[in-house]
Amino acid sequence: MTNIRQVDVAVIGGGPAGMAAAAAARDAGAGSVVLIERDSELGGVLNQCIHDGFGTKIFKEALTGPEYAAIYAERVREGGIELLMETTVLELTEERILTVLSENGMESIEAGAVVLAMGCRERPRGAIGIPGSRPAGVYTAGAVQNYMNLRNLAVGRKVMILGSGDIGLIMARRLTLEGAEVVGVAEILPYPSGLARNVVQCLEDFNIPLHLNTTVSEIHGTERVEGVTLAKISGMDAIPGTEWHVDCDTLMLSVGLIPENELSRQAGVEIDPVTAGPIVDDAFQTHSPGVFACGNVLQVHDIVDYATMEAEIAGTSAAAYIAEGTLPDADIKITAGDGLRYVLPSQVSGLDAVNFTMRVTKPDQDRAIVFSSGGKVIRKLKQQALSPASMARVRLGKARFSNTREIHVEVAD
Amino acid sequence: MIEQATIVCVVCPVSCAVLVEFEGDGIIKTDHNQCKLALDYVTDELFDPRRTLTTSLPVDGGKAPLVSVKTAQGLPKDDVLSAMQSLSGIHVTAPVHIGDVIVEDVLGTGIHLVATRNVEAA
Repeated sequence: MTNIRQVDVAVIGGGPAGMAAAAAARDAGAGSVVLIERDSELGGVLNQCIHDGFGTKIFKEALTGPEYAAIYAERVREGGIELLMETTVLELTEERILTVLSENGMESIEAGAVVLAMGCRERPRGAIGIPGSRPAGVYTAGAVQNYMNLRNLAVGRKVMILGSGDIGLIMARRLTLEGAEVVGVAEILPYPSGLARNVVQCLEDFNIPLHLNTTVSEIHGTERVEGVTLAKISGMDAIPGTEWHVDCDTLMLSVGLIPENELSRQAGVEIDPVTAGPIVDDAFQTHSPGVFACGNVLQVHDIVDYATMEAEIAGTSAAAYIAEGTLPDADIKITAGDGLRYVLPSQVSGLDAVNFTMRVTKPDQDRAIVFSSGGKVIRKLKQQALSPASMARVRLGKARFSNTREIHVEVAD
Repeated sequence: MIEQATIVCVVCPVSCAVLVEFEGDGIIKTDHNQCKLALDYVTDELFDPRRTLTTSLPVDGGKAPLVSVKTAQGLPKDDVLSAMQSLSGIHVTAPVHIGDVIVEDVLGTGIHLVATRNVEAA
């Protein structure tokens, strides 16, 4: 093996989270920061998200994805950060030794702290088990977005969409604008998975039908997709007799995102089965000391601003870990109760205010998010509407953590 | 003549389906909205709905084949498809930078189309 190079902080992934984490680590005084990105450009998925709506929380305006990415790429390039572009991390060990591969060959890097910012991947056809033949013309929404917006390639002329996630809705509009016919969107749930704004501006504006409680029960065609069978569902099963046929040459899937944690697992980082991301405390440190996580590798976000905000804390914490050799114990436990899929972070130190992020299990109205400790309510936030499509975010001030070992969070009246 | 329309408010996740009664260009009353923020949204959506058009155009001589673009302000909603058609055939020459005006005065609306990414010359 070649010489092992030493750095203070290694950030894996040059998307919105990685860029913000690297800049924050540098700004907080880390001596040597390396940002590793497998693509030839910084920005991650933002580069292909050419629609607007990014930055409304941080910049108070609706930027497009590439514009938002450019702001943080510029901060990264201000100096003090070594960029390893077109470089893939092959291995991450528990001792925080990275094996990276680029055109220059293999290299080993030993990092004092590692920030995981690898993002997520789309759930593909294989993960949802649609019966039928295996013709060309079945794509995930992000793949279609990449082909259309970055490579100038059309994927088809007549498109059916399965899943009403935000990327699927955005791509329904995009395909329509570029001259394809979007014949409809099928959603297995009784409500859309994406934000209301996208349902209105991407589907209703173009008279694209949305079929709720509906799934694709079969894909037809041998060489190329020729059509799909749609069916109404009850629970997760198609209801016999409700099937109908739709002609199309393309089926686009927008059926969820999965954090990409192969490297995290390799390094022994403990993963939460609910979020599919690492378990972290309020410094965004995982159970492996010196390893931090932020962005979509930690939890799937619907708003990039929040990924940026948590990445800035992760980067700052990584620099503090380098300076101090350890971080304060995070021994106050946070548990998610009724109506919540999860609350993050699940452990806090109590030394600072914390912005908790969480997702509810189902749409609801006129409820409250309630934080309690030892049976006593310490914060109650009324919510006119709760939706699984929108990550909820609640701040607890430092004072709320005094004299408590455990905080329970739930949706209540 | 008094008319009625249902407009889904997208200001917040509540997504009220607001029932509007209007005559000419004046709203008489709204129903089923939980808050007052819906009023401005519904007024705009009813009498002057606007959308930012975002798309991409081919680049000649650049490091990337496409440059993403947007209208600097919202276009009247009904002009979006014809604006898209008016852009057909337009090529941009690299280098091009964020904020560069690509098309002035789209469809005579007075609204410019600007670049939203940097594409350097190859």
